[in-house]
Amino acid sequence: MDPFSTLGIPATFDVDLSVAERIHRDLSRALHPDRYVGASVSERRIALAKAVEVNEAWRTVRDPIRRAEALLALRGVSVGDGASQVSLSPAFLMQMIELREALADARAPGDAGAVHTLASDVEARARRSEGELSCGFKDGKGSELLTPLAELRFYRRFLDEVGAIEDDFAI
Amino acid sequence: MTLFEIFDPKAAPRPIGIDLGTTNSLVAYVSNERPVAVADCDQQVLVPSVVTYLANGDVVVGRRAQKLAPEYPRDTISSAKRYMGRGSDDAETSRLGPYDFVQPEAGEGNVVRFRVAGDRVVTPVEVSAEILRALKVQAEDELRNVGGAVITVPAYFDDAQRQATKDAARIAGLEVLRLLNEPTAAALAYGLEKNRSGTFAVYDLGGGTFDVTVLVLDSGVFQVRSTGGDSQLGGDDMDRALAEEILRSLGFDSGQQTPLLVRMVLDEARKAKHALTLADSVVADVPGQAPVVISRARFETLIQPLLNRTGAACRRALRDAGLAPGKIDGVILVGGATRIPAVRRYVAEVFQKEPLADIDPDEVVALGAAVQADLLAGDGRRDDILLLDVIPLSLGIEVGGGVVDRILPRNSTIPCAARATYTTQEDNQTGFEIHVLQGEREMVADNRSLARFSLHGIPPMPAGLARLEVTFRIDADGLLHVQAKELNTNIEQTVRVKPSYGLDDAAVERMLVDALDHGEDDLGRRQIAEARVEAKRILGATAKGLATDADLLEEGESAQIESACESLGKAISGQSAAEIRARIEALDRATQGFAGRRMNRAIGRAIGGSRVDVVEEHVKHAKGVLADGRHSVAE
Repeated sequence: MDPFSTLGIPATFDVDLSVAERIHRDLSRALHPDRYVGASVSERRIALAKAVEVNEAWRTVRDPIRRAEALLALRGVSVGDGASQVSLSPAFLMQMIELREALADARAPGDAGAVHTLASDVEARARRSEGELSCGFKDGKGSELLTPLAELRFYRRFLDEVGAIEDDFAI
Repeated sequence: MTLFEIFDPKAAPRPIGIDLGTTNSLVAYVSNERPVAVADCDQQVLVPSVVTYLANGDVVVGRRAQKLAPEYPRDTISSAKRYMGRGSDDAETSRLGPYDFVQPEAGEGNVVRFRVAGDRVVTPVEVSAEILRALKVQAEDELRNVGGAVITVPAYFDDAQRQATKDAARIAGLEVLRLLNEPTAAALAYGLEKNRSGTFAVYDLGGGTFDVTVLVLDSGVFQVRSTGGDSQLGGDDMDRALAEEILRSLGFDSGQQTPLLVRMVLDEARKAKHALTLADSVVADVPGQAPVVISRARFETLIQPLLNRTGAACRRALRDAGLAPGKIDGVILVGGATRIPAVRRYVAEVFQKEPLADIDPDEVVALGAAVQADLLAGDGRRDDILLLDVIPLSLGIEVGGGVVDRILPRNSTIPCAARATYTTQEDNQTGFEIHVLQGEREMVADNRSLARFSLHGIPPMPAGLARLEVTFRIDADGLLHVQAKELNTNIEQTVRVKPSYGLDDAAVERMLVDALDHGEDDLGRRQIAEARVEAKRILGATAKGLATDADLLEEGESAQIESACESLGKAISGQSAAEIRARIEALDRATQGFAGRRMNRAIGRAIGGSRVDVVEEHVKHAKGVLADGRHSVAE
């Protein structure tokens, strides 16, 4: 079942996360393995499977990238091995390489300020990609959205690396 | 656990909570709805996590072992928790300490081993089992019959460390109801006691580990938003930093340090650390050496780098939870090291809030574990309280170019599962090597390797045609199971991930038999006792289910279930554990359809229990859950 149906929420990119979180919590209350410690094996197994499904749905819905993938899947667009299939523009790839190099340059001397500036820049780009996805889904687009999605994945990886670098700096 | 039941069938088993700490351990239970710690005959609740192995084969645990330490520095193992699930080549094993490590021989698992008196070799798992056994005995003195246990682990413990903890409990003869993350346990103790709600951070600086957890308490649900920390950072490191300073002042270089000297200096350092909580300066008096004066300011300078490491983890946990530091409603302190004034100042600075410390930071985790044990298996079972915990570290597998493909991101709520599909890089590749990793970094080398296994026997295909599906499953204890399957051929393999730094099942079984006084005999008795307890529990649950949801029974189902219950009842009075297990399975098959319908009713109630405005908007979709649930159960 798709994650939106599992949680019983509308399948849109602009999900009301507070509503989804509350439903996830209520379903967990009914299905968590802790509720079935003394139960029969079949009840425990079914509850576990359901709890896993509900948690997976919540994990998907709360993350913009996974949410977009789930919506595309609902529209019949394959996102399986997504990133590799989408041809990103050479200009975009060039920019990413430059950003990566800039990050490496800032990291070596431990320039926290420069890392922070790069992160803010990429965060702004990520927000623009999310906006593009939001509008695109509203307009009923499908495979055209693979490009902003792939770009968002690049930004996410970049920001994850920034997080790891900032942790290293703090130590 | 259950063995005792054979001797004293009248006392109902009482579930317990255990904080298996690096420095101290303790056990607690719930009495009249309040958690209390169990004291020993000297009215002490903290049992030092210290075990001494004597040449005559005796094993001494706790305060007495601590007293024996100066005399038997190599035979006295303290802080065994730091070595749980670690390899003998791990950085941890080469740090300042008096132990005699045994190098693994070819073919042996790469597990830390200590050589102790009587030419015995013990693993950290066995040392921990001795501590757990001592706690169990202490609890039995007070409760007569001890049931299952909730055992706490640092949230930041990785898979190998969790598995090692579970193995230790098994060897100690304890039924593990649940492994519970320490910060979550602390929140449970606070949340229930104070009936609070809001967003909380738990700052847990223990003897050997540091954890920080951000969680939301709302209408009885404790939902962990994020967790982070360092499984190799704690009060012990402060002792070491101070001990190194004392050794420097005394003019020793590393070549002159005997195990006895190191042990004595570490003891003095610990005492000095405690004294500096109140005093501005102390004199460390190592026997046979000149006195060394240490000021509080000097101590604070020494520990500042350690505090900075905790701060980085706190900021990341806040970032992951999507919160600014000022948005935290309360900071809960856990662990003896949080008594240090510099630590409290630092915490207040990081979270911009004075921390709470109204429950003893040494006891709060065990008290919370007792509450959870009571919720799971005691009289306190209730539906309004629930813990939703997360995995602390991302899990992934190695893909081309030494890069990690993340399958489950950190802070995913457990239990959970996720899968990803991969393909072959070369023509006619007949096997996949699967390398499971834990951590946040992009490159394989920067993460922790959990396990490697391979999938063979795939027929030759051109590159890119084979489709390998890897599924990760995390159970409610936070333990990982990995399944790999080639989709064209349906060749598959499932592994319970543990080999890299763990003990294999055979080794645990051996230790289990060794630990019992009469070996195999006792093992058989224990198995049948365990099977009986399980059978009674299931009979009780089935009866309760039939009583509450009788209307869900289908034609003839009731008679089938009753007959299966009867057969199981007969098996209980017999002497065969296998027979009991078989009857449990038969009853399970008979109740499967009924269980599925009960589950759907539970889901319906859960959605119906949401706020009205939510229900109205989503009731149509919620029905979809029910319909599909019914369908999948009927399959």
